[in-house]
Amino acid sequence: MRHTLTLLLGGPLLVLALAIPLFVTDSYILHSIAMVLFFAYMASSWNFVCGYVGQLSLGHSAFAGVAGYVTVLLFTQLGVTPWLGMLAGGAFAALLSVPVGYATFRLKGPYFTLTTIAFAEILRIWLENTDDFLGIPLKGAQGLTVPPVGGSSFLAFQFDGKVPYYYIILAMLVGVMAATALMERSRLGFYLKAIRGDRDGAEALGVDPTRYSLTALAISAFLTGLGGAYYAQLFRYINPERNMGIDLSIDMAIMTIVGGQGTILGPTLGALLLHPIGEMVRATIGGSFLGLHLILYGLMLILAVIYFPKGIIVPLQRLLDGRARKSASRKAAAKTDALEGKGQ
Amino acid sequence: MDLLTLSFAVINGLLIGGIYGGVALGLSLIFGVMRVINFAHGSFLMLAMYCSYLLWASLGLHPYVSILATVPFLFIVGYFVQGVVISPLFKRERALVVEPTSALLLTAGVYLVVDNIVLMAFGPDVRSVAVDITYESIFVAGLPINLARLIGFLAAIVVAAALSFWLKHSEMGRAIRATAQNRDAASLSGINVQRVYNVTFGLGCAVLGLFGALLVPFFSITPNIGLSFGIKSFLVVVLGGIGSIPGSILGGLLLGVFESVASQFVTATSAAIFSFGLFIAILLLRPAGLMGRA
Amino acid sequence: MSAIEKISEVKKILDVKGISKRFGGVQAVSTLSFHLNQGEILGLLGPNGAGKTTAFNMIAGALRSDTGEILFEGRSLANLKPWDICRLGIARTFQLSKPFGGLTVLENVMVGSFVRTAAEKEARAEAQKVVDFLEMGGKAHTDADDLTAFDRRKLELGRALATKPRLLLMDEVVAGATPNEAGEMVHLVRKVRDLGITILIVEHVMKVIMGLSDRVIVLDYGKLIADGPPKEVVRQPDVLKAYFGERYVDARA
Repeated sequence: MRHTLTLLLGGPLLVLALAIPLFVTDSYILHSIAMVLFFAYMASSWNFVCGYVGQLSLGHSAFAGVAGYVTVLLFTQLGVTPWLGMLAGGAFAALLSVPVGYATFRLKGPYFTLTTIAFAEILRIWLENTDDFLGIPLKGAQGLTVPPVGGSSFLAFQFDGKVPYYYIILAMLVGVMAATALMERSRLGFYLKAIRGDRDGAEALGVDPTRYSLTALAISAFLTGLGGAYYAQLFRYINPERNMGIDLSIDMAIMTIVGGQGTILGPTLGALLLHPIGEMVRATIGGSFLGLHLILYGLMLILAVIYFPKGIIVPLQRLLDGRARKSASRKAAAKTDALEGKGQ
Repeated sequence: MDLLTLSFAVINGLLIGGIYGGVALGLSLIFGVMRVINFAHGSFLMLAMYCSYLLWASLGLHPYVSILATVPFLFIVGYFVQGVVISPLFKRERALVVEPTSALLLTAGVYLVVDNIVLMAFGPDVRSVAVDITYESIFVAGLPINLARLIGFLAAIVVAAALSFWLKHSEMGRAIRATAQNRDAASLSGINVQRVYNVTFGLGCAVLGLFGALLVPFFSITPNIGLSFGIKSFLVVVLGGIGSIPGSILGGLLLGVFESVASQFVTATSAAIFSFGLFIAILLLRPAGLMGRA
Repeated sequence: MSAIEKISEVKKILDVKGISKRFGGVQAVSTLSFHLNQGEILGLLGPNGAGKTTAFNMIAGALRSDTGEILFEGRSLANLKPWDICRLGIARTFQLSKPFGGLTVLENVMVGSFVRTAAEKEARAEAQKVVDFLEMGGKAHTDADDLTAFDRRKLELGRALATKPRLLLMDEVVAGATPNEAGEMVHLVRKVRDLGITILIVEHVMKVIMGLSDRVIVLDYGKLIADGPPKEVVRQPDVLKAYFGERYVDARA
């Protein structure tokens, strides 16, 4: 039953997503859709650990930023192709996540959340105030630009139109969902849900919470890092505020929570809902009302926590499940009704 | 660093630290009673500062006079936020303690809304209030002490003492303490827990109304300063023992001195790294003791 | 005495040697020693606050003992975390059964079986066996959150069994159960013992423990005051005074 939604919704959505560049030729719109996919990807990466283990990290942007910097620096300083740079950046983020996670996963609730913010902020403030680190030009708050190589070059991760960028992030999104689906069915997935449900109970069943949380975090940091590297390549620019500020972390968390934590499709659903709203507000009236889209995000978050604590995917699931069951159980229902005498 | 600079840094740290303690009082009170960490705590302080600024800029009211408006205004905001936004959680959870992450998420939503409403209304520019007291200092043993900071420091002590007294001796205060100890028992003995929560939240915010107005004479404001104040407040209550009123002041003093002395060694912008570093260090050194009540 | 010597020839599976625990000014458990023989059901009794749960938690690794040591099959459990202890072959249940929400009954049990295998298929098959053993096959795909209190208790037992323990520690098996449910639980516990699993039960309900245990030990104020077959222990004056005295009479009233 649980996977029907993924298939019912995921299949057609994927076909639609694959076809979009065929009929959307406006590069601004295509770029906007690519950004929705990007946020869906980032939220899914965040969900990989936070959604399943039930902890709220607001420091994930650090992984995105660090990996972005690694990618850009490897390319501009050593001429390493961003494709390899991305993997290196992701690996670096995963490495960084281990000590951070080891320290923070012992904490719970708000203690965990605020500590993740502290870690990410330390890193961001340090970067903003460091122009040069051991001979590496970080250029502080100003950030780094990726010089254009001229024209399209697959190796340089630079393309003329938006279409290649679109398909790259689509492939990444499908990849992260597949990874999540695999994880859900593996021991790791079961263990994370057990830790979320009852930590003491999980421990008594042989689950070492730190070990499994850290494993998931490292994978999540790696995935987030790939996204951060993509983000830097898409704009050919990276700076501490934009690429590793707390806003990015908040976006990932809110989209996942509104969509549905600990599910494969939830984060994408959240991004599909929230990002276009944010984008539209910014494009229309947002110019004169700075921050309006974040007000809407905040309100959506509040409403979701109160009315759909498990995300909007739950009512959606019920709707689809209900429809599927209705015809099958109609007879049985009729029988029960007859027996109990259909009052109400 | 010579002795004079050091003593100046320590005194300044104590003054600002007292104010940090005062700012953190509300966070500690709300957690102590409701077991909710208010992520929007700093945002409410920021809101109070903008209120005070607005009254000064439009009506020419001295920030200290604006207290008469900011305190009731913040009380109402707090009362309303708890009554409308947070209380559904408590109703859903019935007898159990509210799930900490949900409450954190809700107040994070409030943080986004409040910060960005102010951003929308005032824009991202840095604003400051210029009143005479900003530049006035008294000299103690040859060291200049900024009067506005001294007033803020003293206010923190007075408010902490008054709050303790009120909690102990007033009827509402007793109801609050009873609810903090055992919500269900309090409810059974006729205490209106919803109202106690509303008042507690309102009170925690009202204290911010006071300190917002006391801060503006010497503290420039932007719509995003709330978060760092919020995190500092959290650090303060963690240092001093969460839920404890004297602990809050003590934690504030500790943080203030630490920050002030540490910032003698680095540029002002990177000084924040030290606060965050201290925060992580404290939580890692005694996580067990801290989680006992979380 | 000769009877006891005969019993001690049987293999000791758990040997508790002089453990104690102090919380602030309270000595919850003081130099407690007892043992469990292979294949027996041992009841751990005592009035409220006697230190039963503290002792229980020390064996399960949730609390560290201040003194002494605990040997499981001759191996010291000192400094082992709860998950290590589980891997060694000791499973436990909790007083309050909290299922892992969002997982079905079968999936809850799978969490336990994953400790012996990393393969999902194998874990599922093992868990299915346990669910059938519990006679919960009809509810295998029910969300664990939707279970009744008693089914949660059975589920918790199932999760513990899925870890393939040789020693099972049970905290309050029939608390809050109806007489019918209690009967079913007793039947289940016997079935578990028939699998060859040694069982330690902490329990308040006298009737249950007397009928179920091969041997009982009684704690009072953190100290062991009796050890023997249920029927003999009930007659000991110390026990009567500490436990069955006014308290028992009160409870029956």
